[in-house]
Amino acid sequence: MEKIKEVLNKFDMEYVEDYKPTWVKAKLKNKDDITKVVEALKEIGVRSCSTVSPTDYPEENRMEINYFLEDIENKKNVWLKVDIERDLEKCEIDSITPILESADYHELESYSTFGVKFKGHPNLRYFLISADYYGKFPFRKDFDWDEHEKNVIENVNKISEEFFEEYEENEETMGHEGSRTVLHWGPTHPASGPIRLKVYTNGENIEKVEPDIGYVWRALEKLAERKDFIGTIVAVERICFMDNTNPMICYAQAVEEIAGKEITPFAKYMRVILGELGRTVSHLISLGGFFGTMGLQTFLMWCLDVREYFLDVLEDYSGARIATACIEPGGVRYPLNDYKAWFAEIDKAIEKWESVKPDIEDIFLKNPLMTVRAKDIGIFTKDDVIDNYLQGPIARASNVKTDVRLDEPYAAYGELKMDYVTCENGDTRDRLYIIYKEINQSIDLMKQAMKKIEEGIEAGEMDPKKDHLVKMPRRMPEGEAVSRVEWARGEMLMHLVTMPKSTNPYRLKLKAPSVNHTRMLEKLLPNHTLSDIPLLYGSMHICQGDLDR
Amino acid sequence: MLFQISEKMLRVLKAWTEPRIATKDVVKEPAHKSPIFRGRHVVRYDICTGCDACNKICPVDAIKMKPLPLKRPNKIPEVNLAICIFCGLCEDVCPTKPEKAIKLAGGDIEMITDGTHNALDNFWVRVEVPEEWIEQKKREEEEKARKRAEMMAKKKAEAEAKKKAEAAKATENKEAPENKGEEK
Repeated sequence: MEKIKEVLNKFDMEYVEDYKPTWVKAKLKNKDDITKVVEALKEIGVRSCSTVSPTDYPEENRMEINYFLEDIENKKNVWLKVDIERDLEKCEIDSITPILESADYHELESYSTFGVKFKGHPNLRYFLISADYYGKFPFRKDFDWDEHEKNVIENVNKISEEFFEEYEENEETMGHEGSRTVLHWGPTHPASGPIRLKVYTNGENIEKVEPDIGYVWRALEKLAERKDFIGTIVAVERICFMDNTNPMICYAQAVEEIAGKEITPFAKYMRVILGELGRTVSHLISLGGFFGTMGLQTFLMWCLDVREYFLDVLEDYSGARIATACIEPGGVRYPLNDYKAWFAEIDKAIEKWESVKPDIEDIFLKNPLMTVRAKDIGIFTKDDVIDNYLQGPIARASNVKTDVRLDEPYAAYGELKMDYVTCENGDTRDRLYIIYKEINQSIDLMKQAMKKIEEGIEAGEMDPKKDHLVKMPRRMPEGEAVSRVEWARGEMLMHLVTMPKSTNPYRLKLKAPSVNHTRMLEKLLPNHTLSDIPLLYGSMHICQGDLDR
Repeated sequence: MLFQISEKMLRVLKAWTEPRIATKDVVKEPAHKSPIFRGRHVVRYDICTGCDACNKICPVDAIKMKPLPLKRPNKIPEVNLAICIFCGLCEDVCPTKPEKAIKLAGGDIEMITDGTHNALDNFWVRVEVPEEWIEQKKREEEEKARKRAEMMAKKKAEAEAKKKAEAAKATENKEAPENKGEEK
């Protein structure tokens, strides 16, 4: 910590201060220094860029760029701010991608949504939006949505024509050396989801892969600005339907930090249970989906069967199975009127999982065919993980000890017993095993939290009918907060900015893990054959909901 | 041979008496039924106050307020189910007690339409307020207004009477010293 501060203080800074126990917050005066600062930080171990988040202030004619950098091994984070001018011609800053390659897609995203030009970026292009996007830079405060919509309706035929042209077959023969073809994998491939991979192949071998994303882009970050502080939960929960509860925890924490409120212990334990339920539900799809990508749908059906029991639990608490909207700023949304019945329902779901566990282990996890296909391919080393900022299960499969629940304990995770779950090799098979291990860990955490709640109620310290919500102020003070949670597929970071006496967020940056995981495909897939694409892709557990947002 | 056939027939006949799982209509009888399931809305026009809170909080603007020819409620919510995301915030924010005027009914999952444009356009929770109720409410309101007007008139009259009396007293008092003075 002191080391980072020492390095930052060498440069011309407006302020350098402690933020949370593991964070240093600093503001740089001169934007030309940014590459030097990042280089100096890289030397002392801050090797990953979590995300880049611009905030637009049209009245002050400035754009504030927030860099979130992380030292994964020593659990240290740096929040670096720098001001640049807002005018489109002058809105530029040196790119940090040549130094920290994990910033690549995040810089592209900032460029496409805010128009910040990153000088020196190896391939600066329009990323989420198309090149002919009318009006450009949709997240700027002065973007005219009505005008944009009008233009799209008028020119829809022209736009789709260009889109079809891009899909035309593109083959080049190379005589005896084979042929070079550009294949489009997705967006309608059964294993792909709404993403297109442009695969450059020579015969069967993959030479290059270019992910084309943005098929389910909904501008969620902008959408959140239109809703009030409570209504935003329904926007953030739709980041991905699989793990639905954890994004709301992340958002609620950011709002609570700005409002300066502390939630009750009961609500904290409830957040643990709901968060782990969300993780289990998501992991069950990941687990089954892994075999689905190899063409075996039986296991997916088994997993979906178990998943139904966990969805029943969510329905009993919140009234909805998938879009639960059950966590809001100030605690959890509903009181627990009959806690014993609800816990019995959780026990029933856990029992169901325990009953299929031996079969899963025997039939699927020790499956010889799966082992032949998945063992020893697509290996990520520790350096790969840190340089490309892979997170969550993917990082832990490569034996990197990273987990926000332990590094920066939120909710009641600090009071529960847990340890890093890791695998040794970091190959494709380990990325399946880690999911299985994590489900068991989640269930263990749920049991612990349930026990704590029961003890608390018996001791008279918790009241499940009243303690669920702390009253939040209707209007928020001015402030800025960063909150992180361990999502099912990696770390989720939210950066919330509010204006004085505001009723809705001024800016909400959602950072989700699939962005970096999709970027990793560019390095993972080459030198494999076409038949490996679904398997390797499925092992990354990518969800387009949080990739595009 | 005959025995085998008869055995098979017996088995088939037996199966007829078995409880049939497949005949269960999942639309009317879901496998899992939560008492607080967030389903189709129920709007109670008789306790709604027309405060507009549900309309303001709705994150997807699915609620439209239908005007009524009354003072309170002067409008009641109607929900477009094709837009609604069933988050239940309208129920949370409704101020009526103890029962909520807008509520997401538990367990009602009969919300499947045939998916045509026509059906989706009419996929609304409409509130049909009976004419008689409006008439009655109007009469009540009129009565209330009349009573209030009467009360106001009464109060006004009283106040005026008081004023007059005071004024009269004042003049009497004023006059009195003069008279006294004259007497002296």
